[in-house]
Amino acid sequence: MSTASHDDVVGRYVRVEVEGAEYDVFYLEAGQGQPLVCQHTAGCHNHQWRELLRDPDITSRYRVIAYDLPRHGKSDPPNNTEWWTSEYRLTTDHFTGFVVAFCDALALDDPIFMGSSFGGNVALDLAHRRPDRFRAVIPVEGADHAPGFFLDWWQHPHANAAQVSASGTWDLMAPQSPLADRWKTWFYYTQGSEAFRGDLYYYSVDHDLRGRLHEIDTDRCPVVMLTGEYDYLTTPEDGRRTADGIPGAEFLEMSEIGHFPMSENYPRFKTYLEQALDSIATKTGGGAG
Amino acid sequence: MTSAGATTAVDRFRELSDGDPEIQAHGRYFSCTYLLDMIEHRFLVRMHRGEVEELVTDPGPLEPYDFAIRAGRETWEGFCSEVPPPMCHGIWSATFQRDMTLEGNHLVIMQNLRVLTRQLELLRITGPLG
Repeated sequence: MSTASHDDVVGRYVRVEVEGAEYDVFYLEAGQGQPLVCQHTAGCHNHQWRELLRDPDITSRYRVIAYDLPRHGKSDPPNNTEWWTSEYRLTTDHFTGFVVAFCDALALDDPIFMGSSFGGNVALDLAHRRPDRFRAVIPVEGADHAPGFFLDWWQHPHANAAQVSASGTWDLMAPQSPLADRWKTWFYYTQGSEAFRGDLYYYSVDHDLRGRLHEIDTDRCPVVMLTGEYDYLTTPEDGRRTADGIPGAEFLEMSEIGHFPMSENYPRFKTYLEQALDSIATKTGGGAG
Repeated sequence: MTSAGATTAVDRFRELSDGDPEIQAHGRYFSCTYLLDMIEHRFLVRMHRGEVEELVTDPGPLEPYDFAIRAGRETWEGFCSEVPPPMCHGIWSATFQRDMTLEGNHLVIMQNLRVLTRQLELLRITGPLG
């Protein structure tokens, strides 16, 4: 009899096709109930959701699914293109198309989508484009527009790109967050520098909902936004302004936390996440919550 | 002219930096010179292989450096506090959202970003150098 101490998180691969690109996508999942699909931040991978996946308070009610976006973690670049011959720039069409295709591939019924940073921005784009496909979205550290981070420094050949990506995002975390969790997040960022800049093309350039927020229908797809007070990229002011532009959207400012809340300080993030999930359950007629 | 208080903070900063395990472990290529343009004084920090080779208060006008970090009083006071308030908590946040500027050769900043970030966080212990 094995004495190994396993948790309940399992990892699998699934084939997903988007705009002609064929991907083998790795995802982690745990729990049962209402699907809760989680997107990591730019240049990172699904381990940012490690504590959520292991939290029985959540997994007893939600089927938590955290995937690696193609080109991140264990999800390779496309199988069927010579991707190394072109510059990677993620677009809104490709990103939203991927999330929907992933949910279709897993036959997820009415999932809640939650993402942070560029995942928060794509949560807004999903609510805008596909309110029919998602029960609700939780944009974490998202905004209608987030300029300023599509920088060549992330891939500059004269600097250590891994360290620049990791230490360049260090200040996005709050000084109150546990040091060990901040360093785990830093460590993940050393692993994703090659995709980081291309992700940020979407984050800072292609994603732009200015003037269109009012088109998001929160009766069909409720929106609950969460933003940390130490986030200098999508500040609480940005989050509040964005939520104010979406009729029916909610906004919660999270104190003493930054741009990677689920990874830098999960216990603190959890208190706000539970409020968001409870609000969604109330708005959408029970279930989970 | 250097005040007694500033001298104490400068000495403490130098001592903390040279004794810091993270800088010792990862700073063997940390060789550059930078200027901290602080509240009352300017400080030239000359690093060599992870150690403070020289720390000059109010250097002369022709002292060369690779880059300078400048900010106003309020930003530096926040930056150098034990728990910095939001947007004062690092060189990225303070340049994006406050009046801090990074001037000079940005490539040198990026090449040394890991240990530089750690070294500047020692200011949370010393307080402003002056």
